Amino acid sequence: MKTENRALNDIRVLDMAGSIGVYATKLLADLGADVIRIEPPGGDPMRSIGPFIEDRNHLENSLFFIHYNAEKKSITLNIDSERGSKLFKKLVENVDVIVESLPPGFMESVGLGYPVLRRINPRLILTSVTAFGQTGPYKDFKAYDLIGQAMGGILHSLGPVGGPPTALGGNQAYHMASAYAAIGTLIALLNRDVTGKGHWVDISMQAAMIRMTERITLDYWLYGQNRKRIGGLEFYRGIRVRFPCKDGEVFCSALGGAGAEAMLQWMESEGMAGDLRDEKYADILRAMQGIPLAKGSQQKTTGSFASSLMSMLKYPEELLIHIEDVWQAFLLTHTREELFIGAQQRGVRLLPINDVIGVCEDKVLNDRAFFVDIAYPDLGMVLRDTGAPYRLSETPWKVMRRAPFIGEHNHEIYHTELGLSDTDIKKLTEAHVI
Amino acid sequence: MAGSMSQSLLKGIRVVDFSWVQAGPWVGRFFANYGAEVIRIESTLRMDWARNVPGDPEVLNGKHHKGALFTNVNCDKLGITLNLKHPKAIKIAWKLIAISDVVIDNFTADVMENLGLGYDDLIKIKPDIIALSMPVFGKTGPYRNFGGYGNAIWGMAGLDSLSGKLGQPLTASIALADFGPNPTHAAIALLAALHYRNRTGKGQFIELAQLESTACWLGPSVLDYTVNRHTATGHGNRSLYAAPHGVYRCTGDDKWCAIAVQTEEEWASFCKAIDKQELIDDIRFSSLAKRKENEDQLDWIIEAWAIERTPEEVMTWLQDAGVAAGVVETGEDLLLYDQQAKYREYFVTLDHPDGKTFCENTTIAFSGTPARVRRPGPVMGQDNEYVYKEILGMTEEEINKCYVDGVFD
Repeated sequence: MKTENRALNDIRVLDMAGSIGVYATKLLADLGADVIRIEPPGGDPMRSIGPFIEDRNHLENSLFFIHYNAEKKSITLNIDSERGSKLFKKLVENVDVIVESLPPGFMESVGLGYPVLRRINPRLILTSVTAFGQTGPYKDFKAYDLIGQAMGGILHSLGPVGGPPTALGGNQAYHMASAYAAIGTLIALLNRDVTGKGHWVDISMQAAMIRMTERITLDYWLYGQNRKRIGGLEFYRGIRVRFPCKDGEVFCSALGGAGAEAMLQWMESEGMAGDLRDEKYADILRAMQGIPLAKGSQQKTTGSFASSLMSMLKYPEELLIHIEDVWQAFLLTHTREELFIGAQQRGVRLLPINDVIGVCEDKVLNDRAFFVDIAYPDLGMVLRDTGAPYRLSETPWKVMRRAPFIGEHNHEIYHTELGLSDTDIKKLTEAHVI
Repeated sequence: MAGSMSQSLLKGIRVVDFSWVQAGPWVGRFFANYGAEVIRIESTLRMDWARNVPGDPEVLNGKHHKGALFTNVNCDKLGITLNLKHPKAIKIAWKLIAISDVVIDNFTADVMENLGLGYDDLIKIKPDIIALSMPVFGKTGPYRNFGGYGNAIWGMAGLDSLSGKLGQPLTASIALADFGPNPTHAAIALLAALHYRNRTGKGQFIELAQLESTACWLGPSVLDYTVNRHTATGHGNRSLYAAPHGVYRCTGDDKWCAIAVQTEEEWASFCKAIDKQELIDDIRFSSLAKRKENEDQLDWIIEAWAIERTPEEVMTWLQDAGVAAGVVETGEDLLLYDQQAKYREYFVTLDHPDGKTFCENTTIAFSGTPARVRRPGPVMGQDNEYVYKEILGMTEEEINKCYVDGVFD
């Protein structure tokens, strides 16, 4: 059946990743990999992270766990025990990838370092996702998402003017580390397709976060200046980009920047352009549109760090404020959807801003059937979650199975695959190995 | 040689990169850094915005300013000029695609089709081609020709609403979607498709709607709405599930340290480290629930401690005690003082025809040998000779005629 034909159907993954790396294995699972999550006996600490279904804090109720672990299997195993370690090695014989996020050196300390695993299975790809990587002076430092944002160089630039650095919500440093882990794993897999040999992939959350900072370090290297917090202003021109409208907010600089002429015509047709056609706005409007300034103008188009980055700020403040006021008055007469469609049809890249409700009810996303419904018969529920980040024509992204309960697949893996008897399994369970 | 293995992991894969600005070019960089041959197609008639950022034309102290953003995102790629609007250009593009594995673009939906480079055209030339298109709203539907920038996409996808203080969503001054979800997801889809092609011989078309890709980084907050009808919001630097959890002012000008305490064990270690053991049993702070309840008071105590110290002192002191803490680093911190960045060489300076330039390094390390960026992004048409002559086998005469006719504008 075509819907079950997925890109990574031939790949089995052991998932030992904590929050920092769990999105990596979700990405692999949704592309068809057989991902087996290894939980400590008693359940994964991730099951204690909220939010929870109906706010009931229970290990099988964590929506955090459910979101990141749908489509995976679960077995319980304590690798830090003699019998557990043996079982783990047995599993390693038949897996393609392990993703783990234990402190550097921990796997070695329990006799399961990469050299040992590679001897068992030379084709194995071991992906280690940690805050700072496997080497270097900070490798043993502890870090959560907030620290990743801090040391990755993005946090200092975020937040209001004069206020404290303010972090991104939603564990974006974890997402970034995980995305890099998935990329590293797949690069190693492609190389293995050719060479037959596995790799140890070493991911640092800090290094991954640096890749989100655009030109923060570049600007220091070039100009010896650190980025300032400028609140919600757009960096390149130093102007506002969030504006309220009739029923919410939209994202677009005043008059739509390069599309200012088209927007002015729209505003004029509704009698909302005010006095913006006055000569005194000519230079600033040309600058907004990126048109070279008129001859004889005192303004230069290029210049030092400050002027080139905050190009709008070199014009008299009252002019810019007035333009924003006229723009704002126009926006307040229209809804988000009217502005979105009206601006886009005029070539202006205005987008509505959403909160989570707005996203879930967004017309564009729903028309394209973005969200995915996952059945949880045991709970008598169907959970609606985010859908595919990409659509592959031949091997579709798909979530077909709800997140597993603790050790749900112990019997399938230990009995059916590894051939352990029910008595063995019972003994191992009593000894807290599984 | 250090890095040589990592630099050839994807050897033998050829990528034709029609994308531009940021989100698209970052995709091809993942391939170029690890040894694939990535050929960036440009035209002087439609200059990539990033070639002028920063725009300062002068070279100062041997540092090349102009277009460093371009040289960073396009490092290790080959660059050729080809004016796709010229009637003779399409056959050359097809010839190149016929001997390539991957085609990337980030235009709005109908652009590639109108150029004769839609997926249906490509499979006629190369039946097992893998093509990636990443329009903001996807290839179908009434909005397929609408567009948006990375910072606005992040806002439309709901991510601004998860940041900032309650009721004051935070908009970043960086186009986060262009650096986070979109290029990484695109690379993941392409790499998985290449693996599938290795197994089956089949190519395919990948559609990445940037709005959808970005919305995936809402994480569990969509479930929290669809199941519980809760609308997630920002909490400043605080966390619902940990305290203390914040950014604290330290000694110095605009210096800060981030501290995150997640477990009771870490809480006890933290109290000992700041020499306030009495807080462990203090009724106001004796559980997470209590610490959340009295979080303002808790933060005042920590602020008073931190302000006496530099962020580096706070970080090393707390890390030695097993508590997660980190300097809120500036560009200066990352370049000059971060020992890990130095040790793992997170940044490189490279020779550029116009002076030295600056690049983020390759980020992912394989089997202990990090790949190092070898070459900054190409100057316009830098590899025309190699690609047109060596790869496509065009004669000197044909090439000259193309220049004269404006095919290579």
